[in-house]
Amino acid sequence: MSKLNETDIQGFVLRGYNLPVARYLFLHFEDAARARSLIGRLLPHVTTGQRWDGGKPQSTVNIAFTQKGLAAFELPDATLLSFPVEFQQGMKKRAGILNDTGLNSPERWDDLWREDRVHAWLGINAQSPAALDDRCAKMLELLQQTGGARVLASQDAAAVVIDGKPTTREHFGFTDGFGNPDYLGVDRSSQPGQGKLMPDGSWAPLATGELLLGYADEAGELPVAPVPHILANNGTFMVYRKLHQNLATFRAYLEGYSAHYGGGKEKLAAKFIGRWRDGTPVELSPDKPDSSIAQDPNRSTNITYGADPEGTRCPMGAHIRRVHPRDAFGFNGRLINRRRITRRGLPYGQFVAEGESASDAEERGVIFMALNASISRQFEFVQQQWIEYGNDAHLGNDKDILMGNHGGRGKFTVQGDTSAANPPFICSNLPNFVELRGGDYFFLPSITALGMLAMGLVDPR
Amino acid sequence: MSNINGKVYAMNAITPMKPWKTVVLRGFFFLLWHVKPLQQDLINLSFIEFARWVVLPRRRFPFLGNGQVKEDIKYDYLLFFSNFNGTWNQYIDAFSAVLSKGLNLVWRWSEKFPGSVPVTPFKEYIARVQFDTDYYYTAYPQAAANDLKSAHIVQASLDSLCQRAQGCNPEQFADAYLRFVLEVQAHLGETGEAPIVF
Amino acid sequence: MPNKNGKVYGLTILSPIIDDEKATPSHDLQIRKYLATLPTGEESPFALAPGTHLARLVVMDDVIYVGMPACEEHLKSKYLVFESNCDGELDDYLSGLATSVPEHLDAIWSHCVGYPGAANRQAFVDYMKACQLETTFFFAAVNDKSVPETLRALQTQHAVANFIASHQGMEPARLQAEFTQFVADLKAAPVPRAGSMGQPRDIKTGGRNE
Repeated sequence: MSKLNETDIQGFVLRGYNLPVARYLFLHFEDAARARSLIGRLLPHVTTGQRWDGGKPQSTVNIAFTQKGLAAFELPDATLLSFPVEFQQGMKKRAGILNDTGLNSPERWDDLWREDRVHAWLGINAQSPAALDDRCAKMLELLQQTGGARVLASQDAAAVVIDGKPTTREHFGFTDGFGNPDYLGVDRSSQPGQGKLMPDGSWAPLATGELLLGYADEAGELPVAPVPHILANNGTFMVYRKLHQNLATFRAYLEGYSAHYGGGKEKLAAKFIGRWRDGTPVELSPDKPDSSIAQDPNRSTNITYGADPEGTRCPMGAHIRRVHPRDAFGFNGRLINRRRITRRGLPYGQFVAEGESASDAEERGVIFMALNASISRQFEFVQQQWIEYGNDAHLGNDKDILMGNHGGRGKFTVQGDTSAANPPFICSNLPNFVELRGGDYFFLPSITALGMLAMGLVDPR
Repeated sequence: MSNINGKVYAMNAITPMKPWKTVVLRGFFFLLWHVKPLQQDLINLSFIEFARWVVLPRRRFPFLGNGQVKEDIKYDYLLFFSNFNGTWNQYIDAFSAVLSKGLNLVWRWSEKFPGSVPVTPFKEYIARVQFDTDYYYTAYPQAAANDLKSAHIVQASLDSLCQRAQGCNPEQFADAYLRFVLEVQAHLGETGEAPIVF
Repeated sequence: MPNKNGKVYGLTILSPIIDDEKATPSHDLQIRKYLATLPTGEESPFALAPGTHLARLVVMDDVIYVGMPACEEHLKSKYLVFESNCDGELDDYLSGLATSVPEHLDAIWSHCVGYPGAANRQAFVDYMKACQLETTFFFAAVNDKSVPETLRALQTQHAVANFIASHQGMEPARLQAEFTQFVADLKAAPVPRAGSMGQPRDIKTGGRNE
């Protein structure tokens, strides 16, 4: 395959920056000409995928657009209509498909997302709060000088800091940050278990076209993409979801149920996710966390479930098993390869350590961002079929315990064995541990495409 | 009219075949029927409740007289009726990903079949040769094929436990009950509504 | 015998529809109209008559032209497809339909050539067999359980999941007593009705581009 031109791809797509703080500005364009001028001024600031040989920058800038945002540039109709149906509709209209109903339904979203006004996401990541404020100020200055956009709202997010150091923990106490896929041509430190499973048991990178438009995908073709190709190539789609976490409810539920569970609280929590709180995969170490595995890149994601078909080590419905089934569906994992997503994102809100009091009403959760070449085939499929439903995992209508839209019903089965510390166990009357507070679908263009937008040079054919 | 009832989708497809090719296809189906391991992949895909192929030779369209005009056509036709779980896209994606050789062996004899890989031209072909269901009934709309298999396992295990439980003291029963739970623990998924097809 | 797979029978019936220019609307449209309002749940004729797992009725207007270089051709009649996956022997199944839901059968098939009516059971069975196509290959995920057995198993599965969830950690004597009661209750419960739990569907069509 052709080598990737990293200077043409936004850095946010190719690698997680691992910068501890972020601010996302949500923009609205009033006037096409001024919007173009803004993008033109912004372009030199946009962080590309070029390697940082001189060390990480103080801050990074990236930008993405909703369908309405692209329309605000007065792109030709033929181009706008060539974008995928789900992107044109936007995430709010897809609520039925995603089961964003009840507590997750759009009527309950933050004001920002309830109205259809978000045109663009301007993502700023930084090494420190000071660097963040500094870069934001420069961006706001550009916005003001060009009159190109209004800021509707902003969202801060930051890595959870424990003992003065940023970690990859999230609010429920689990260690996150594993599991982003490997793609052909994307240069990053990779680990066994992140790519696709080969018949001989080794792992190979996924086809580039699963992430980036304009490259061959896992189905052996170029994915369906908007026209003109030059607008779409080296771009990708981003799903943004603000996921509120009901920390008090989660802790109380875990406390309550683990009192009756033979393996104890930490083990039950580990069974929910498929990893112990420190990240040790339950499949590799079912009885206790093991930092020698969790911190070893050769082992921390090198998991298969073939030896555990009944889920007695890692439950069949555990979160990581649901969203990345690996070989659990047979066929050497071939049914999985087109359902992978790349996750970016950070927690938001104040971290509360175990034992200190927390309330569900407090603003905290995770900003979930998924990057994929096809929102409907990748993110929407996983959300609809593997999180809000369980048939592929042979679990009927049972939902993912962590993220499912339970509404107080449903159950989670921990498959066990005859040992007292690993009994079969059912958790019932599941509350919503996570609630959706808003989001949308975005297109993350290449540097070339941004240039075309800035110069008003988009022609559909 | 809907192609969908509960968790199951009724797909109907008709494709034309040159009559000499029909003979080859029949041979393949004969093999598939009698060589059970060839059906294993189909079984493992586990989202088909029932499916059938019907070869309809050009002279065998039912003719009942009474003013009906006899058919006079050149091609034989392959009818395909599937009852599967999941969305249209999911179904075809899965077959294209793991059963492409088998699909090709069935449909390569049909005119203008593009092959089952890559998936986009394959989906276009299916969309062209698919015709819609007017009326679809299922006795168990809330259950997918996996649910059915699990339900039968649970029923069999329960019947077995009831037998074992006769004349047990509580300790013996508790032991038998634990074994029963272990037998059914992977088969307790709820049944109910299907996700929206998109 | 390809029409059968285990205990399930794959019935494929292709009935020519009457072609009468003077009928307004035409016979195929009349069938369509009837089918459009026919209930698909517990009140379906296939729920009221015994033995149907899954069944469909499709008005097949014509063969489909796949494009050059294939030749374009057309059928002289339209056909009503009846595809059924059912229990037991063919004669019993067809007789069961004729006995339980003759008015529905007549409403649908009276638009088809040579249909004798369901009142004369033997004539009805002969008519269906005259329209029967041999199933070339028949696949069934579960091929050895009847409709009532299946409905009962689904009921059991649901009840067992609830029982296990609500009896965790219970001491053995009480567990045994409650289990005995549970089994008795389950045995006494009526078999759920076929076709139930089908909600009326909001018809949604997905874009074919993905």
